[in-house]
Amino acid sequence: MILQILLSGIATGCIYGLVALSFVLVYKATEAVSFMQGELLMVGAFAAVALTAAAGWPAWLAVAVAVAGMALAGALVERLALRRAMGQPHLTAVLLTFGLGLMLRGGVTTVPAATHSAHQLALPGLSGQVQLGSLTVSFAHLGVIAATVLTCAALAAFFRLSRAGLALRACSENPRIAAMMGVSTSGMHTLAWALGAALAALAGILMAPVTFVHPAMGVVALKAFPAAVIGGMHSLPGALAGGVFIGVAEALAGRYLPEGANHVTAYVLMLLALLCFPRGLFAGRSA
Amino acid sequence: MRQAAALLALVVATVGTLGLDYGLGQLAFVATWAIAGLGLVIILGQSGQISLGHGAFLAVGAYLQAGWVALGGPPLLGLAVAIAGGALLGVLASLPGRRLGGLAFGMSTLAVALIVEEALVRFDGLTGGASGLSVPALTLAGWAVVDPLTQFAVSATALALALLVCRRLLNSRLGRAWRAVRDDEGAAEASGIDTAHAKGLAFAVGGALGALAGALYAHWLGYLSPEQFGLHVSFEMLMLVFVGGASRLMGAIWGAVVIVALPQAIALLRDVLPAGVANMAGLELVAFGLVLVAVVLWRPAGLVR
Repeated sequence: MILQILLSGIATGCIYGLVALSFVLVYKATEAVSFMQGELLMVGAFAAVALTAAAGWPAWLAVAVAVAGMALAGALVERLALRRAMGQPHLTAVLLTFGLGLMLRGGVTTVPAATHSAHQLALPGLSGQVQLGSLTVSFAHLGVIAATVLTCAALAAFFRLSRAGLALRACSENPRIAAMMGVSTSGMHTLAWALGAALAALAGILMAPVTFVHPAMGVVALKAFPAAVIGGMHSLPGALAGGVFIGVAEALAGRYLPEGANHVTAYVLMLLALLCFPRGLFAGRSA
Repeated sequence: MRQAAALLALVVATVGTLGLDYGLGQLAFVATWAIAGLGLVIILGQSGQISLGHGAFLAVGAYLQAGWVALGGPPLLGLAVAIAGGALLGVLASLPGRRLGGLAFGMSTLAVALIVEEALVRFDGLTGGASGLSVPALTLAGWAVVDPLTQFAVSATALALALLVCRRLLNSRLGRAWRAVRDDEGAAEASGIDTAHAKGLAFAVGGALGALAGALYAHWLGYLSPEQFGLHVSFEMLMLVFVGGASRLMGAIWGAVVIVALPQAIALLRDVLPAGVANMAGLELVAFGLVLVAVVLWRPAGLVR
């Protein structure tokens, strides 16, 4: 029983963690507090659904194209709009991203096919479940966890081994010195938004087999703020760990606490974390 | 003086174009939103703190007032209860500010607002939950405030009183402390200002004004449900302050005009557009988002500096 709860908690937490990762990535590099990660997630999931269901593409190709397309869209939005908010108070980026998010959500809502029926994204190999003793393991949950681990490994490799990854880290650490060393900081901002949008889209696609795809699915991103805060706002591994922590805590609260308590668990934990560990639970040497 | 003339012109123009009853009804909403906006101007513009959850203060005021009136309490006293409740929530919401600054503190206000919203849905015995709650008309001295003219008069009077109080506060020791915290918290601390106390009072005033606005709003609308005060309202309030200008009290009024006029303009737009476009479901969201993005891109630092 407890294993069952933990498994689904970890799977949900991986989604939270991926969204938190995308949020922290953007925040670290550009200081912009993004309130549109949830909408990017939703559009990414819809793009994958449209490519498989409407255009009839094979699922894995559709996923790859949807994620790549969202990366491009993220870069474009940074170039066209978010660049203007650089160096302004936090409020400017908050309002700008919220407005862009409204436009994305409204834009998807205007498509009748998107709102009239609930969509499910069928990814081959991720349907069905397997029985291990008393534990029922659904492949969708396993897929989420496996994809998150793979994504994180790829990100870690990117940040450690590639030139662009190193430049992005340098730029997040200290933009002025990075610029003096020949790093194009504005290019890095674009790269951060592209990566952030791609990660959010991936989270949306991974969510799709578990929940339905609908225009309001972006609310899941509200849980990414607690995850990011618990992770200390500046740490990528911390954001992921924070997400998993929140997912598991929610699953446990849903089982052992009175009904409805699981809806506020994330926010209560966030307040507690802010009060007791203002620099994040995982504030190690990176902070 | 120029401000007063502009306000008078606004009232005349609104009533002239929208008709007496409808125009005054809309102006009552403008005055009500402006009261809440004043609270955010104090928090954001004067003490320099980000509040991402101002909607929670409106929610608390609205539900306290509705509950008080439902229990048979005198409405005017109910407004005082709502104001006290809002101030209390403001102080509670400001507690994390003792240890945090800037964005992290803003995040904590978001958490408070989301918890309040969820609580309103969950405690459905008291609040009617997601299905909502109807609110009787405001009665003052045995006289029901139901027509737009008196509603506008009540809201405008409350707004004028709120403006007077805020003006006094800004010229006081506390107002100077707020501006010192905003400009440089470290320097303020070094000059002997109790910054946690100043932030707490800014949130108390902001929360009280938000709750007063929420209580009036509950009466004017006659119906409450938790989603009326969700994240969307908190962001509308931020937009109000951004458009009107956070640095001056009158900014709240001009911002409120924009916030109330925008849905009206979108409704007008629906009439003009071809039927195929006008009937699209997400048009309102797109139009609202478009205006917000256009305003921010046009003047990233706010319309009025």
